[in-house]
Amino acid sequence: MDEYQTEEETAFIVEDVSKVIKESVEVAIGGSTYQHSRVNQWSTSVVEQCLSQLSKMGKPFKYIVTCIIMQKNGAGLQTASACFWDNSTDGSCAVRWENKSMYCIVSVFGLAI
Amino acid sequence: MEEYQNGNEGSFNSEEAENVVKECIENIVGAEDYSQTQVNKWTAGIVERCLTQLVKQGKPYKYIVTCAVMQKTGAGLHTANSCYWDTTMDGSCTVRWENRTMYCVVSVFAVAVV
Repeated sequence: MDEYQTEEETAFIVEDVSKVIKESVEVAIGGSTYQHSRVNQWSTSVVEQCLSQLSKMGKPFKYIVTCIIMQKNGAGLQTASACFWDNSTDGSCAVRWENKSMYCIVSVFGLAI
Repeated sequence: MEEYQNGNEGSFNSEEAENVVKECIENIVGAEDYSQTQVNKWTAGIVERCLTQLVKQGKPYKYIVTCAVMQKTGAGLHTANSCYWDTTMDGSCTVRWENRTMYCVVSVFAVAVV
């Protein structure tokens, strides 16, 4: 019982992180329409919001949060990532969000300390 | 002068990583036009090649490499990233590349292994 709890506290839980990301994106750009002049501020606020919520979780991880916001106009976008880390302790989570005028892709990578 | 050099020794060399990334991108999409059927292969190829070259350097780092390839149609694209880590030892570098038909943005994050 004791060991299980310790693992929970120190493991990268994709579901929890995914929830944090979705919430952060909604809060930052939920009802907005793509605006070139504001997108800088939005992407910064999405990553900062995610990072602060993640560090609040108090787990022994270093985090990297990336955010891509793209205007919907028919362009094709493809993203990929590769990681060289410790498979047993590190993890990642990517969330794709969209509204009528833009796409937002957020990735979180968590590396155990 | 001394302090600056000492800081550099244990920390991530972003210039070197930038060169590695530029070479990988050129190698894989250098002469190509955006193609929806190939783009999947290209992004995977770029991240894998970058990762392999970085790991070959034999430094005590964990790496994360991300790549975004976007067709040039006039759409706006913005990327941002934020990192919660040890600022003295960890580092990142981002390379923006383009040709006539597409943009390619590659980011490398290096986290020191204690």
